[in-house]
Amino acid sequence: MAARLASRLLGMLAVMAFVVTLTFVIVRVVPGDPAAAMLGNEATAEQIAALRARLGLDRPLLVQFAAFLADLARGDLGQSIFLDRPVLVAIGERAELTLALTGLAIALAALIGIPLGILAAVGQGRGRAQVLPTLAMVAASLPSFWIGLTLIKYLAVDLRWFPVSGYGPPEAGFLERLHYLILPATALAIPNSALILRFTRLSMLEVLQDDYIRTAHAKGLPSRTVVLRHALCNALTPIITVLGLTVATLIGGAIVTETVFGLPGIGNLVTSAVVRRDYPVIQGALLVISGVYVVLNILIDVIYMLVDPRIRA
Amino acid sequence: MRKTGLQGLLAAAVIQAIVSTAPATAQQAAPTSVINVATIGEPPTLDPATTTSDVVSIITQHVFETLYTFTARWEVAPLLAAAMPTLSEDGKLYTIPLRTGVKFHNGKTMSADDVVASLKRWMEVSARGKLAAPVVESVTASGDTVAIRLRQPFAPLLPLLAMNNGAAVIVPFEIATAGSPIKEFIGTGPYRLIEHRPDQYIRLGRFDGYVSPKGTPDGYAGERKALVDELRFAPVPNANTRVSGMLSGQFQFADSLPSETISQFENSREVKPLVAGPSWPFVIINNTKSKLTGNPLVRQAMLAALGAEDLLTAAFGNPKFFDVDGSIYSAGTIYHDSTTPGYNKPDPKKAAELLKRAGYKGETLRLITSQQFDFMYKMAVVAKQQLEDAGFKVELLVMDWASVVRQREDPNAWESFTSYNTFVPEPSLLTFVNPAYAGWWDTPEKAAALDAFNREMDPAKRAELWKVVQRLLYEQASTLIVGQFRNLAAISAKLDGYQPMPWSAFWNVSIK
Repeated sequence: MAARLASRLLGMLAVMAFVVTLTFVIVRVVPGDPAAAMLGNEATAEQIAALRARLGLDRPLLVQFAAFLADLARGDLGQSIFLDRPVLVAIGERAELTLALTGLAIALAALIGIPLGILAAVGQGRGRAQVLPTLAMVAASLPSFWIGLTLIKYLAVDLRWFPVSGYGPPEAGFLERLHYLILPATALAIPNSALILRFTRLSMLEVLQDDYIRTAHAKGLPSRTVVLRHALCNALTPIITVLGLTVATLIGGAIVTETVFGLPGIGNLVTSAVVRRDYPVIQGALLVISGVYVVLNILIDVIYMLVDPRIRA
Repeated sequence: MRKTGLQGLLAAAVIQAIVSTAPATAQQAAPTSVINVATIGEPPTLDPATTTSDVVSIITQHVFETLYTFTARWEVAPLLAAAMPTLSEDGKLYTIPLRTGVKFHNGKTMSADDVVASLKRWMEVSARGKLAAPVVESVTASGDTVAIRLRQPFAPLLPLLAMNNGAAVIVPFEIATAGSPIKEFIGTGPYRLIEHRPDQYIRLGRFDGYVSPKGTPDGYAGERKALVDELRFAPVPNANTRVSGMLSGQFQFADSLPSETISQFENSREVKPLVAGPSWPFVIINNTKSKLTGNPLVRQAMLAALGAEDLLTAAFGNPKFFDVDGSIYSAGTIYHDSTTPGYNKPDPKKAAELLKRAGYKGETLRLITSQQFDFMYKMAVVAKQQLEDAGFKVELLVMDWASVVRQREDPNAWESFTSYNTFVPEPSLLTFVNPAYAGWWDTPEKAAALDAFNREMDPAKRAELWKVVQRLLYEQASTLIVGQFRNLAAISAKLDGYQPMPWSAFWNVSIK
């Protein structure tokens, strides 16, 4: 098991090194630069060139890359050009929102998706359960931004149950801030719950046809026990995969949803950094996001091994 | 011991979570009156000297002040200056009396030394200041006055000092001399900076020590009162979210809203739409260094090919938001001139003839635009069609605005780009007449006309001289005026005392 994990870790580190290099090159190859963004529309080429020089952006690419790697080796992701603070602090400031939004969205998605997935599998070919896969397909096809705008229209503008945008005023406590997250979390949860529903249903259908399930029924165990204790436990592996990947994606930035709801999360940080060409933030945030992917993938592997002895072997 | 990066990240996240988990009562008390403003995005800086970005001006004009400002009729009026300057007979020496007893937000009293240091910084770092710098021989302090000595008469000096972007803001000497952009945001304005959380909010609180200029409020001039406890500016980049935020009552003011949403505000009792002038010129800037558009006949052919009314309708839809007017300045301003030969007279045959005379052989005209400004993109799509109908071969280059700004620096990379100029009360501040600005319009006739305009001090004569510059703009077709446009803003019916101006100001504004 340890050897398997070590090998996964090495592979993931290689992925991160690749991400770091690729990001560094891509952000500098595309046109546009922070100096132009900072100075505004009316700046002349000379003024932009002068600011580029002051920011060190006129140095050869290799020199800039070497400086970036040297800083990285010291655990320093650099200083944001626009935010006037270290990149790590900027990411840390947004981590709370992103983690809260991700947690809420995943909890909602799992609470909706897993029970409905089980119902759809158990009721396969019968009555109302047949509608669930179709509903899931529709929900999975709805873009989060559309769901978000619709929720804003009806629940925030018309009924005024929720705020439209932001993460609460400065004096707000955690519960009030949570209130600001309910609509965006729902917008994210709906398509993800559909995904979870489909995976749960497929996985359960496969397990429910196994011999040991028939044996359990034959032994006279209640259906609820058979489904929840015997079938669900063995159907968990793909569900864990989809949950893990969803968490990773959301931590990486629910970019569109954060933009629609004006949320200052990591996704928002990355998009505004791209628009402003804030190179250190783009590089740092993508490095942290890829790190999250690495850690979550390894965690998923560990959980696989814990729930499925065949993988451990 | 130095914290490692990971430790720093974790520490920041944990502290953040703990702070925000604490009950509201344990944190700061909520102010009793707050105006929430949705802005189009996070400002790139809070130093208004170093950028001409509008969102920076809107926010920072409450914190920082300049020696002069503008009335509603765009006349220059004193702000931190006690009066208009006295000018020597040769037009080269401005003596500016300063108001006394003006306090900075740090409690220090403003002195002539602070003003001199701030003006010197402005000439070093500001795009506006750099226009003045070559003409300024010296800036000196004497008691409560500041003297600016020029090398030659330069009429734009006072409007430059009054602008609130690329602004000649007055900050304490020690901040002005500590490097730019400034790190401490200490001004003399009616509101002071309390907190800036990037991408979340900027909080400005009432400055109790504020010393206001006297006089009836008039545009940006006259008495300024901070009538609410706090102004909060929240970046909301999505325009539809700004609309929803206004309709739900979360925000009390928002601008740059989609023009098609005006009916939602017209039907609301709680929010009112604002379509206020003065309008901004919407333009296609031609590259005079390009092999293709370097030929004036080709640029004239473009002018003949384009029908401005179609372009404006495509861009804005509702005629409330635009004027089919080829003047550089909108109607009602002193610089408006309705002599616009060839404007909005689409004539593909004439265009084809001009192209033939120019020796056009089907070279590609690269027109840059950006979907970040939806109206620009829509206009460019129709412009492409109209140019092609006249015989041009056009390639539309669509990119984000940061890329446009970068690409346009390279004279070999484009022929034309779509743009606009925010309203500037002083014509010489228009980007497209600046020979150093992308497009590089720099002919001897234009340079002479602009020089004569800049040297003339009499406003009526200046208006006449500006007509010469506009005539040359049309003759040489360096920039094609598409028309004049206005933005849609929305304001809560609960706000009282708001005066519509291009950069929305919230002093003298209260909540009913």
